[in-house]
Amino acid sequence: MSDTLRMRIVEMIVESGEGHIPSSFSIVDIIDYLYSHVMNYNVENISSLSGDVFILSKGHGAAALYVVLEKIGAVSKDSLRQYGKPKGLLGGHPERFKNKQVMASTGSLGHGLPIAAGIALGGKLRSNSSRVYCLLGDGECQEGTVWEAANIAANQQLNNLIAIVDWNGSAKQLMPYEDLEARWSAFGWNVVRGYGHRYSDLDLAFSQYLNNSTSKPTVLILETVKGKGSKLVEGHGIWHHKIPDSEELKIIMKDLINE
Amino acid sequence: MSSLRKAFAELLLKNGKLDQDLIVLVGDISHGLLSEFRFAFPDRYFNIGICEPAMVGLAAGLRIAGFNPVIHTIAPFLIERSYEQIKLDFGYQGLGGNFVSVGGSFDYSKLGCSHHTYSDVSMMAQLPNSNVFVPGSSKEFTELFNQNYKNNEINYFRLTENPHDIEFSPGDISSGEAIVVKEGNDVTIAALGPMLKVALESTKKLAEQGIDAEVLYYHTFKPFDSQAIIKSVKKTNRIATLEELSIIGGLNSLALEACTGISIKSNLKFAVSNFIRSYGSYLDMLIEANLSTEQIVNTIMNDVKK
Repeated sequence: MSDTLRMRIVEMIVESGEGHIPSSFSIVDIIDYLYSHVMNYNVENISSLSGDVFILSKGHGAAALYVVLEKIGAVSKDSLRQYGKPKGLLGGHPERFKNKQVMASTGSLGHGLPIAAGIALGGKLRSNSSRVYCLLGDGECQEGTVWEAANIAANQQLNNLIAIVDWNGSAKQLMPYEDLEARWSAFGWNVVRGYGHRYSDLDLAFSQYLNNSTSKPTVLILETVKGKGSKLVEGHGIWHHKIPDSEELKIIMKDLINE
Repeated sequence: MSSLRKAFAELLLKNGKLDQDLIVLVGDISHGLLSEFRFAFPDRYFNIGICEPAMVGLAAGLRIAGFNPVIHTIAPFLIERSYEQIKLDFGYQGLGGNFVSVGGSFDYSKLGCSHHTYSDVSMMAQLPNSNVFVPGSSKEFTELFNQNYKNNEINYFRLTENPHDIEFSPGDISSGEAIVVKEGNDVTIAALGPMLKVALESTKKLAEQGIDAEVLYYHTFKPFDSQAIIKSVKKTNRIATLEELSIIGGLNSLALEACTGISIKSNLKFAVSNFIRSYGSYLDMLIEANLSTEQIVNTIMNDVKK
């Protein structure tokens, strides 16, 4: 679990007064693990399809993506300082048009997976060996286009496409379901279950995926905790889109240090 | 007069041979018509299934991967159902793509309003970086497609089932430019796409009544040729617009806006003002929408002679 990245998330969100802290805390370990241990890419040209690419379909977790891109040297410290500001290039949701490091503009849920499937299909047609990773929320899996794309990807045998579901229990607050694994499986996907915060858990989940040699696309359903890292922001309450005041900031930072 | 769909199939086959990036996605439609393309380029033809919004998102991904997508299905499903995908996945991301529809307005005249759309054209025109074409003949479509499909912008081509039967020479067809089909002094009849047929029939009947109409033809909705209508209305001082589109946000709105500041005696809107709930032929639909020759002639005659 990366406390340093979480602190950076809080810093940038407080600085700009915009962001989704709990959603970012939920996924930051997964994104960090992907860029550090799974994906092949050239940091100078991170969106090149000659390497693996990543799409954050649950765009409101953008801060988690930005701090990882900063960590690997794909975006500058100054870019993060300008986040959400008039002259800044990075905003509250990832945007491709202004940032070559961002593979797809997202924000409205249910858009990332169809686009990822298109890139994966294009890669196959170009005989490209790169992989396309797409991170979705479990709440997002209530969008119809997720399942339209799931159908297409299975039908087109896109085994170079990997969906990752951040199963932080958001869906339970809305339209509860417990059979997410069965749903993806019924749509013709190779399903891997795991946990999304500890390095060893992620290693286990990804090793299962990397050993898969079927023609099916793969989904990794990773259990996470929304707001993981600070008890104050944890869960599904008011913190979803709240900016901490100075006292709350101290508590969050203290939580992160003690974690 | 060949059908626009047939011209579409021939065009794709021809361009597909020259252009390795051209890729075709269809939503369970025209697969018979496009079978030659499918056999010639199996890796660049996908009958995606019945899931239009995801098909549009998929096409955006293919654009990112370096292909030039042509996305084809029935107009209300391609545009209205998938509008957020067109807006965000193409518009917001700054990607180009070619959307080609059939069944615009009430071409499926016996299938009810689920298969009608009167708003697709104005919706597509709302998007920054878009071009919107409503060709009324296969030749126009071929010209407009070839002039634009590689421009890396959002292009919408709406293929009518009811061509107007007028043969323009290819040199006269230029995207964004209206065509003066007949000169006249009493009223400017501006027609969009297939409505040129009714416009010319009406003009003939009006002439029998001593009314000399000018006919201005639009195959391109966006970019809109404002100068053409301004020039004509300055002479006639009367606007009559003929379109199979909603009365809100269509050709009449554009024409009237262009003519701001010009003295206008009358502005006659021939357009669709409600769901057309009846069934029948295309002509029946025109009558239902007050777009038939007889209705148009009577309205214009009463207006000019009052």
